[in-house]
Amino acid sequence: MTRFIPTRPAGRSPTGPSSTGPSPRVRTLAQREARAGRTLLAPTLVVIVLVIVVPIAWTIVLAFQDLRLIDIRRRGLMGDFTLDNLTGVFSSPGFYNALTTTLLYSVVGTATSIGLGLVAALALRGWFRGRAVVRGFMLLPFVAPVVAVTFVWQTMLNPQFGIINEIGTSVFGWTNPIAFLTQRSTEVSILGLEFDVPVALLTVMAFQAWRYFPFAFLFITARMTAIPAELEEAARIDGATPTQRFRYVIWPQLLPVIALLTVLRFIFTFNEFDDIYLLTGGGAGTQVVSVRIYDLLTARGDIGAASAQALVLSLVLVILLGIYFRFFGRHLQDA
Amino acid sequence: MSTVSYDGVSRTYPGNDRPAVDRLDLQIDDGECVVLVGPSGCGKSTSLRMLAGLEDVDAGTITIGDRDVTHLAPKDRDIAMVFQNYALYPHMSVADNIGFALKVAGVGKAERMRRVREAATMLDLQELLDRKPRALSGGQRQRVAMGRAIVREPQVFLMDEPLSNLDAKLRVSTRSQIAALQRRLGITTIYVTHDQVEAMTMGDRVAVLNGGVLQQVDIPRQLYDKPANVFVAGFVGSPAMNLIRVPVVPDGVRLGDHVVPLDRATFARIDHNPEVILGIRPESCRTTPQDGPELHVRVELVEELGADAYLYGTAALGSDRHTDIVARIDPRCAPVTNAMVRLTVDSTQVHVFSASSGQRLSS
Amino acid sequence: MAQTHQSRCRWNRDAVETRVFGVLRWLVIAVLVLVTAFPLYYMVMLSLRSLDQVVLRPGVLWPAEFDVSTYVSVLTSVADGGQGFLVFLRNSFVIAVLTVAATLLAAIPGAYAISRLRFAGRRQVSALFLAVYLFPAILLAVPLFVFFARIGLRGSLVGLLIVYVAQTVPISIYMLRNYFETVPVSLEESAAIDGCSRFQIIRWISMPLALPALMSTALYVFMIAWNEFLFALLFLAEDRDRWTVSLGLSQLAGSIEIPTTVLMAGSVLLTLPIIGIFFLAERMLVEGLTSGAEKG
Repeated sequence: MTRFIPTRPAGRSPTGPSSTGPSPRVRTLAQREARAGRTLLAPTLVVIVLVIVVPIAWTIVLAFQDLRLIDIRRRGLMGDFTLDNLTGVFSSPGFYNALTTTLLYSVVGTATSIGLGLVAALALRGWFRGRAVVRGFMLLPFVAPVVAVTFVWQTMLNPQFGIINEIGTSVFGWTNPIAFLTQRSTEVSILGLEFDVPVALLTVMAFQAWRYFPFAFLFITARMTAIPAELEEAARIDGATPTQRFRYVIWPQLLPVIALLTVLRFIFTFNEFDDIYLLTGGGAGTQVVSVRIYDLLTARGDIGAASAQALVLSLVLVILLGIYFRFFGRHLQDA
Repeated sequence: MSTVSYDGVSRTYPGNDRPAVDRLDLQIDDGECVVLVGPSGCGKSTSLRMLAGLEDVDAGTITIGDRDVTHLAPKDRDIAMVFQNYALYPHMSVADNIGFALKVAGVGKAERMRRVREAATMLDLQELLDRKPRALSGGQRQRVAMGRAIVREPQVFLMDEPLSNLDAKLRVSTRSQIAALQRRLGITTIYVTHDQVEAMTMGDRVAVLNGGVLQQVDIPRQLYDKPANVFVAGFVGSPAMNLIRVPVVPDGVRLGDHVVPLDRATFARIDHNPEVILGIRPESCRTTPQDGPELHVRVELVEELGADAYLYGTAALGSDRHTDIVARIDPRCAPVTNAMVRLTVDSTQVHVFSASSGQRLSS
Repeated sequence: MAQTHQSRCRWNRDAVETRVFGVLRWLVIAVLVLVTAFPLYYMVMLSLRSLDQVVLRPGVLWPAEFDVSTYVSVLTSVADGGQGFLVFLRNSFVIAVLTVAATLLAAIPGAYAISRLRFAGRRQVSALFLAVYLFPAILLAVPLFVFFARIGLRGSLVGLLIVYVAQTVPISIYMLRNYFETVPVSLEESAAIDGCSRFQIIRWISMPLALPALMSTALYVFMIAWNEFLFALLFLAEDRDRWTVSLGLSQLAGSIEIPTTVLMAGSVLLTLPIIGIFFLAERMLVEGLTSGAEKG
């Protein structure tokens, strides 16, 4: 018995001419499914392409044009192309400063928010009366509107009537109130050594850790509840202490989700605009690249330079992610 | 009510070389219940799903009545299906589950309720109409799934292992209820199962599939008495038929020290092959001395099932050759383990298959 | 606890660690609650004091008397000498609700298609959706700013709506897709055999079963749209009548004439709906957001 079945039965079907080749009217299940899939996805795709993909492509075009905001009503899409914007990006010291700040802010912000999230998740792991409410509190910084919480932080840190400086001067005996959000740096001496402490940058980093640790807390908690209790019970019977149980049982289970969180948080922090803009306006040594782009766009109206910087920012991110995936890709696969 | 016909139907899953169903030809009469049976992966479910319209047909045609439905959407086929996991809609009450197809078809509310009640009465579900599926027992869920199928009065019923989620006892009673219901409604039914007892009891005819290829379609009795090939012989019947490779001698085949005589017609079909496969059902072996070929068997295990007992042992075929053998014996005089017994084979009840093709040679 | 084999020596490592972490844990919980809840408490408290009191005695944590005139002032329209937050609230609400509606309208079929239907390009589309979040919002802001300025949609709520939908559709599809995938395929097959078209299957089977996920997605999208600031700033800053609460608060926060306590009242009004929604639906939200992570 021959077992040769042609994969495309069209025309040469073994059952003869009456059988079903794909004619224009008759669609196979797979074809109908593909059609339905494309139709259902079309609205989303249109919006995404229109509002995300086209603008990104356009940014690339704009980055090579000398275009001012006041010109846009008169000029077409294709103007004179120039490399000035890109060379301008790399030759301006402001950009390197902003990029360094961005990197520092992203690395510290990512690490602290995930670390704090892990600590919170571990502390809230065992059940206690009122845990659900405490969990709700943990998520408040993340869900509350950014404008409201930055405003509250500004007020709390206000040198004149902010509660932090009030407590600092009256309880901890600070000689002067600290201008947390407007002071670039201050000298601090620890053990006889003088340090330059970037006050405002540390403050926005603290805000970032405070606002985004709930995100890490959520994901880590979700993963932790999925760890079977038997694993830890077995380790306990084997005589493992709490730190050993964490190190050898829980931590390996959390690693994939922490790797994923690192990527997500790093991307979001790297691109962050709202928090810093609202807290310091990018002043006092906190100007990250996205704030700088905003300033170029609105204050100077320099669309070309703004686009070029946005482009370079994305490229730097893509390169960093590429490096990360090379080393941690395996953990991400698991997550 | 309708006939169903598969004509040279094939299905190859994307990324697979071997077709899941290979040129299936099967005609099902109006009102008939045909059971598709075979080991897992034999293509029985794929065959059913192609008829349902849930799976593409790569070659061949499927017709219901005189309509070619090969490429019709499931909703246009006028069929009803009972799924293995029942697929009850968890957010709908029992009544809504049963009446859903009618609602989609635009049947008015009063008429719908009347038919739902009728079906519910038939299946003894009247008390449960307002419940949600999760509040039902396994057997009740199964009946709701049946109700959903019968309320539509479709041309064809499709049943995909509808009993496999029930416990053994419930399965037996539900089996007979479904069979009775099917006969009463007289709706053409295709029933898929991997359980050969279910197949033999439910089907007007049984189609045995293996490796995507239809092996034999026949009434249950015939399938048991005249299996078309080695696969069907080994698949149908429990415990399975003993299949022993034996040499051909001038007037029969040699089994141990004896010769099993074969009739002329069979002998002619052996066609000078040096060996054939001899099939002996467990009940064709006797421990009591009788006329006929004998086997010397070392007892390894005796399974006592009350009315019957089965002996599992090793039979010597001479010159260092041995074969495992199963025989049905009288439980009241069961031998002990490691005893040597003589089994007499009823030579009128043996089956002969080709050693090369596996096809049946005896008539 | 019972079967420590060195039961004589009570201070073995296990016992020490158990005790230390037992205490440390409560300390951590206390600090976390203080840190997360205090800013919001401070916000509410400040909104109920007069500015003179705050400046005079900044350390007070429980005001002697409550002053609700801040809320009156912040809600009253500009014409009547207030800050006009009532209009901002209405704008925010309208934009957020429309964003939710439009996003779900696109995301439900999209998520269904990605989770259930096989078609060429499906994986690429999923990847494209995730890649959306790789680019800073500010990168999109530049060309969108230019584009909407050209077609005259800058300053209109419609333009903002389109941007919000584009920003929220990918995460919505991600959240819904995970849920659609948990609906057994046989239910949909059963519905197809019961006579449903693809659209009817989505309408009668998938959507009712995905209702919890739909709710959590809707709330999450509402939250994003309500809290959003950058695009509101870029598109609506010029026309005060179109400001959202977030934008209004941020624009007025720099002004010297408006007392901080009045703006705190504005913050409370901005935050309250979100916190309300959140505590009503916390469970659903959390599950919806992390359902993909749990599989790992």
